Amino acid sequence: MVYFISGGCKNGKSMLAQNIAKEMAESKGVPLYYVATMIPVDEEDRARIKRHIAERDGWGFKTLEEGRSPAALLNRQDVDLNGVFLVDSVTALLSNEMFPYGEPMNLNAAEKLKPVLLEFAEAVNGAVFVSDYIYSDADRFDEYTEKYRQGLAYLDKALANVADEVIEVSYGINYYYKEGCVK
Amino acid sequence: MILIFGGAYQGKLAYAKENFQIDEKDVFFCKDDLAELDTSKKVIADLEKFTYACVAAEENPVERLDGIWHLLEDKILIADDVSQGVVPMDKTARAWREANGRVLIKLGKRADQVIRVFCGLGQRVK
Repeated sequence: MVYFISGGCKNGKSMLAQNIAKEMAESKGVPLYYVATMIPVDEEDRARIKRHIAERDGWGFKTLEEGRSPAALLNRQDVDLNGVFLVDSVTALLSNEMFPYGEPMNLNAAEKLKPVLLEFAEAVNGAVFVSDYIYSDADRFDEYTEKYRQGLAYLDKALANVADEVIEVSYGINYYYKEGCVK
Repeated sequence: MILIFGGAYQGKLAYAKENFQIDEKDVFFCKDDLAELDTSKKVIADLEKFTYACVAAEENPVERLDGIWHLLEDKILIADDVSQGVVPMDKTARAWREANGRVLIKLGKRADQVIRVFCGLGQRVK
């Protein structure tokens, strides 16, 4: 079962995703994983990660740090693919791949990530992907930002296409784009 | 008249092609330096660029549309929603953001069908 969740920032996407993932893992009686996508580069990042870990305390998540390629998780001895994986967020994965810290940027990052994410979604028992809806700005961005928005939309569309349920979170209301899942 | 709107890169034109049996030759693509609409084709896409061109030329896009509704009755209009980000620093972009919203309100009222496309998935809202 694959879920894809998106919407504007700070309106409850992560909390919804955590609830869905937890419920799915519990109902199936399988492990619950949190794929941590943030790659810390300074103290501020490390403090944020610490806060996130504390917030997830008691939920039963096992944290897997993977900021670049979730495909790497598919071959790990300590990872049970029969589990449920919360990937928060696609936005960070693309950012890490397109603008890697201390490495040259890769403007084809979305094309590179698409098959990886689709393979991951297919290989695991349950996956919940969280992304960010950054497509209704009226500003005109620089070429790299525009390429990033375009790339994220490309990944969003690919994941939404294969997902069993697509949920848009908007001001506390959840819009379900595909039917047939537990709401 | 059918209105298809949504954020940038959401697959609005692809949705129109898939659901309304049209292809590229049926589409007029608006340009952000052309305050004119070609109504000879079935589909008018990138309408937000027309509204931008109008605003840049200090014209009111809603008034421009008011003169040609009869030509738009059987059209599919596709537009970006640019209303949900940070208020732009640029004066023209600020005016565009508002004008585009007013255009979409008017189109939403007049259209027989309104579809919002989110991550490639269309949802009929009217």
